[in-house]
Amino acid sequence: MFLQVLFRVLGSSDLWQSTLQFGALLLLPALGGVISERSGVVNIAMEGMMLTGAYAGVMVDLATHNVLLGVIGAIVAGGLMALVHAIVSINFKADQVVSGIAINIAALGLTNYLLFIQTQGQGVHSLTDNLRLPTLNLGPLANIPFLGPILFQQNIIVYVAVIILLAIQFLLFRTNIGLRIRAVGEHPQAADTAGINVRLIRYACVISSGMLAGLGGGFLSMGIAGIFNSNMTGGTGFIALAAMIFGKYTPVGTGLACLVFGLGEALSTRLQDTGFSPNLLSTLPYLLTLVALIGLVGRTVAPAADGIPYEPGTE
Amino acid sequence: MSVQTEPRGMSEVRSPSSKLVVWMRKLSNSLARPLFAIILAMIAGTIVILITSPGSIVDRFANVSAAYSSLWIGSFGDPGNITYTLVRVTPLLLAGISVAIAFRVGLFNIGAAGQLAVGAMTAGIIGFKLSTWPSGLLVPTMLLGSMLAGAVWGGIVGLLKAWRGAHEVVTTIMLNWIAFYVTDYLIDGPFKAPNQANQTPSLPPQGTLPLVSKFYNQTLGTFLPMIGSPEQYPVDMGIFIALLALVIYWFLTRRTTFGYEVRVIGQNPQAAKYAGISVKRNIVVAMALAGAFAGLAGSVRLMGQFPYQLIGTTFSIDSTGFDAIGVALLGRTSAIGVLLGALLFGGLRQGGTYMQVNAGIPGDLVFIIQALVLFSIASEFLPAIRRSTARWTRRTIKPALVAPLIGDSTSVSTKEPLVKKTLSEDPIIVPEQTPEGTLNGNDASDESEQITPLDSGRPTPLPGE
Repeated sequence: MFLQVLFRVLGSSDLWQSTLQFGALLLLPALGGVISERSGVVNIAMEGMMLTGAYAGVMVDLATHNVLLGVIGAIVAGGLMALVHAIVSINFKADQVVSGIAINIAALGLTNYLLFIQTQGQGVHSLTDNLRLPTLNLGPLANIPFLGPILFQQNIIVYVAVIILLAIQFLLFRTNIGLRIRAVGEHPQAADTAGINVRLIRYACVISSGMLAGLGGGFLSMGIAGIFNSNMTGGTGFIALAAMIFGKYTPVGTGLACLVFGLGEALSTRLQDTGFSPNLLSTLPYLLTLVALIGLVGRTVAPAADGIPYEPGTE
Repeated sequence: MSVQTEPRGMSEVRSPSSKLVVWMRKLSNSLARPLFAIILAMIAGTIVILITSPGSIVDRFANVSAAYSSLWIGSFGDPGNITYTLVRVTPLLLAGISVAIAFRVGLFNIGAAGQLAVGAMTAGIIGFKLSTWPSGLLVPTMLLGSMLAGAVWGGIVGLLKAWRGAHEVVTTIMLNWIAFYVTDYLIDGPFKAPNQANQTPSLPPQGTLPLVSKFYNQTLGTFLPMIGSPEQYPVDMGIFIALLALVIYWFLTRRTTFGYEVRVIGQNPQAAKYAGISVKRNIVVAMALAGAFAGLAGSVRLMGQFPYQLIGTTFSIDSTGFDAIGVALLGRTSAIGVLLGALLFGGLRQGGTYMQVNAGIPGDLVFIIQALVLFSIASEFLPAIRRSTARWTRRTIKPALVAPLIGDSTSVSTKEPLVKKTLSEDPIIVPEQTPEGTLNGNDASDESEQITPLDSGRPTPLPGE
């Protein structure tokens, strides 16, 4: 009975379509995490940055009736939250974990506070179709059986996420800038000696991570849900964090991890009728990440200088 | 950091009557940063209200004063509200102790939320399964069960850290979500109340903690004046469990070998190893203890407050575990500091709900205030400002032989003439000044407490790795 349902579910393109969709939702903040941590700044605030992005996206979208401006609003809002994280952890040399927690709390408080003030406690309505992020339909390609809906009938952000994934992989491992980012994350003193501006690189990386997380939040609110609810991210940013670690801090690895976690998420809602608990299936990403951390399937090692504020002139 | 303590040692030597002065200076030093953080957060909260409230500038300021006055009334304004605040303080105290213990050994316990969930679930399961037991047996079993479950959940983190070097921030976050989903599964599955969705039945009455007011009426109230309408003062006996835990925490960290070893590890794992202290064992023990206190926070709240039942998806949105980090940081991991921090955060939360009802200002404002408190504590705004003012006001160039100073010590040491410092390094005076202080770590520890939390987020290199 269970296997029957499982095979039926696995054979439906609907499952794989939403796997890619969840995967992209996780991928954007996870890639942000990769960039930030590669430059040596711990970022556990993807959750908060996503939430801010989700909120700002919907609000700008509603105010301007323009989805593109909504997306930009989401990106800017995420970037602003990240700017706070950058100032606090780079300039003030704060503990980056505490700063991350504070960002998460601040994001929750700020979005709820503003939502209450702006809507007098009523909450926002669902976005109408023209205010949502569009699903692309690539004509005849989308009509290919099974593969068509999966690959050629996705939300526009899914394609954007894949492009960003490839771009970041290229940036980190094939360009001068990427080499600098990794140098700053592994050994800032040496990087500084070589004439690299450690602060500038870290600022740029942290802010980009916030922008990516903000875009992810915008995708959640304006693309998938079509509404903003209080605390609507509900831990997505933390799954993204897990995906980043499971993917060993590399963009492509993170992408694969996001696919696995996305599949888990997509399955969990579809196996409900078999009596298999979606809650138990939801623990899968975290269990897998723990296993990866223990080193049973190749140990995950963070960048050497991750989380350590840079003090010029120290060993 | 040793440089910092020496000027104080000097004053102790100078005259015994200046002990009070030394104590006062210690107090003001340890209070300055948290107070500054709170004031900064309050100012920021004011700005948020000023920007977001409607009407003229006068109306806006009226809004600010309405917000803060209702925040005060709602938290500590009258006996009823104080007991409501104490209800929130109870789990914060226990979870705060949990985070503080981990800080002591240099680890960051973000997992209090998950340990709390596991503890509450275990207490609930024991309560449902052994519902025929008498209260005197059932309540301790539930409390111990929750501590054990929390200790396992926290101990895993310690084991992974000691055994594989897995960063505790990551493992605790993962274990948190595993705990949330597993408890959600149990609440909506095996332990679901019949004909109800997503919640367990209520605990049997003998598995609950009585309200303090009712307990008083039944005991002392028989020959002292009774409390009328005890339901208006809903704090339960859990607050005494939390206060007892606080005393135990103080004793553990200040009066036991474990506390001493843990403190050494928190400051310098390398030195601890050379002193023959088992870093790995202490990390595991400290994390298990941290988990036990957090687990207790879960069971005490479950058993102490209406509706005495577990409800699905509440743990993942419950902020106690994260508030506890603020409590421990604000209190600088000292017992009395944790108490003050818990009172502040509990008061803010309780006052926030009151403010929303009575002043029409969203209670979420207190989240923003809390986050700002965390920011300023974490980022050492105060020392950073001091450092920059020292840069402007510095008249002489720092002598090259003085050890590099960090944080607070900059201002302390620049005020002290150099002569004193060289005097205090005199071997004749130093051993005399703190014979017992060094053994118990009394004198040095006060400084170390201020440093530990801020350093602890950085990965602690384990010796031998």
